[in-house]
Amino acid sequence: MKFGKYLKDKWVTLTSFGTFMLLTSVLLWLFHSSMELLVMYSVLAVLFLLIDFGWDYFKRKKYYDKLLNNLEQLDKKYLVLETVNEPDFYEGKLNSQIIYEINKSMAENVKQYEKNVLDFKEYIEMWVHEVKLPISSLLLMCHNNKGNLEKKYIKQIKRLDNYTEQVLYYVRSEHAEKDYCIKEVPLKKVVRDVAIKNKDDLLEQEIDFIVDEMEYIVSTDYKWLVFILNQIISNSMKYKRKDVTSSIHLWEEEIGNRILLHIRDNGIGIPEQDLPKVFEKSFTGENGRKHAKSTGMGLYIVKSLCDRLGHGILIKSVEGEYTEVSLVFAKNDFYKM
Amino acid sequence: MNKILIIEDEISICLELAELLENEGYEADYLKSFENALEDILNANADLLLLDINIPRMNGEMLLREIRKKSDVPVIMVTSRTGEVDEVLCMSYGADDYITKPYNPTILLLRIAAILKRMSGNNNTASYRDAQVNFSKGTICKGDKELVLTKNEMIIFQILLNNQNRIVTRDELMTNLWDNDEFVNDNALTVNISRLRGKLAEFGYIDAIETRKKQGYCLI
Repeated sequence: MKFGKYLKDKWVTLTSFGTFMLLTSVLLWLFHSSMELLVMYSVLAVLFLLIDFGWDYFKRKKYYDKLLNNLEQLDKKYLVLETVNEPDFYEGKLNSQIIYEINKSMAENVKQYEKNVLDFKEYIEMWVHEVKLPISSLLLMCHNNKGNLEKKYIKQIKRLDNYTEQVLYYVRSEHAEKDYCIKEVPLKKVVRDVAIKNKDDLLEQEIDFIVDEMEYIVSTDYKWLVFILNQIISNSMKYKRKDVTSSIHLWEEEIGNRILLHIRDNGIGIPEQDLPKVFEKSFTGENGRKHAKSTGMGLYIVKSLCDRLGHGILIKSVEGEYTEVSLVFAKNDFYKM
Repeated sequence: MNKILIIEDEISICLELAELLENEGYEADYLKSFENALEDILNANADLLLLDINIPRMNGEMLLREIRKKSDVPVIMVTSRTGEVDEVLCMSYGADDYITKPYNPTILLLRIAAILKRMSGNNNTASYRDAQVNFSKGTICKGDKELVLTKNEMIIFQILLNNQNRIVTRDELMTNLWDNDEFVNDNALTVNISRLRGKLAEFGYIDAIETRKKQGYCLI
């Protein structure tokens, strides 16, 4: 709170005091009172004015300065009222009453939105589970009616399955609830599951799937990790080069107290300027534009799931040569085989 | 013939599962009503149960607990829920395996075969014509002659032997190999089969593996 601005605010009081002093002085002079009385009277009047102004100013300054200072330092600014004492002057009381009411009404409003979002999330989760039933039925039907068309149909059904799964994990990654369960998971098992999931596509597109000997066990949520790895491998299959024999190579590495799972393909790579942005929401970049099939969601979901599980994710690439994604897990000696 | 009981409320899945299992040579049946689920299941005398978690009246986990009080029949839980917590729960209630919808049908059959095999006890040796096969050692013995197979060859031979005189598709062989962390491609599979053929021929079993055009292979 600045004194200058405070005084400016008080201009009516100041001018009327000035006029009052002028008038009383003129009156006193007209009645021939002594000069001493005039001076004493003026000094006293100004003194009392200063005491009143000072008292009022410092009272306000104390309250508002604390309020402003706390407001600046707080992360959640709407909590500022909780950090100061109730002021002892009328105007301040009114203000804090108003802020309190506004806060309350906004909190209710936010609560309503939270509820809506939660309902929506629950509905989506339920819907995904429901839609998996017909997908399962279709897969079984295709398997039971083996014909020449079988693979073609299965491929499309698997795409459906992947997309619905993506919705499920998007919903999960956006909401800070504990849907996951951390257990010791052998990387080998995760890789195997993802490999079998993508077997038909890998074989059909003649992509060599090379996996080195795997021995590490990491602490993670099994299904989330399967989803993460599946997205990474889907990308490798989507952005392959046509002039070479495509391959996807997976291997483990131990660095200090970290375990890394590397997934390296020899695909089209990612342009250098796009690389820092690939984990951003809805970022499609040059590859996305050229392929026109990208939603920009895959890697964003992967990154947020990794963040929630506490895993690191790194990406390296040289355009036209390779892309290498590495998942970083914390090592726990107890779990090493 | 092993009897498999399907407990699942989605009728289209029941029918397709039953067909899948029958094609594979199992006797398949499914629960028609859930009124007296527990009694019906116990009376069915099945060799294995495929139990869905989301069923009417009682949930699958509860039902499994009740079944376990009275019977040791092998159970594979099937579900569309993707929460890992379910898996932990199911296993602690005594399920033998757990599979998530939508499953790969070949993998489902593999799991069923593995459990039934484990139940029957003998899963390490088998006989083929006049020879003894040892799966874990990867050998086929006849008299004092011994034939050593590589891991991939043994996996292929084992599936063919389990389905002797029936056609096994390339896809089934492939799924089996991949399920054993051997991520081979089409060429490698062809090479492995011709090597296996060669080895069996040297051992005296000429033309043991027949190729059925566009269908697969058959061990005679």
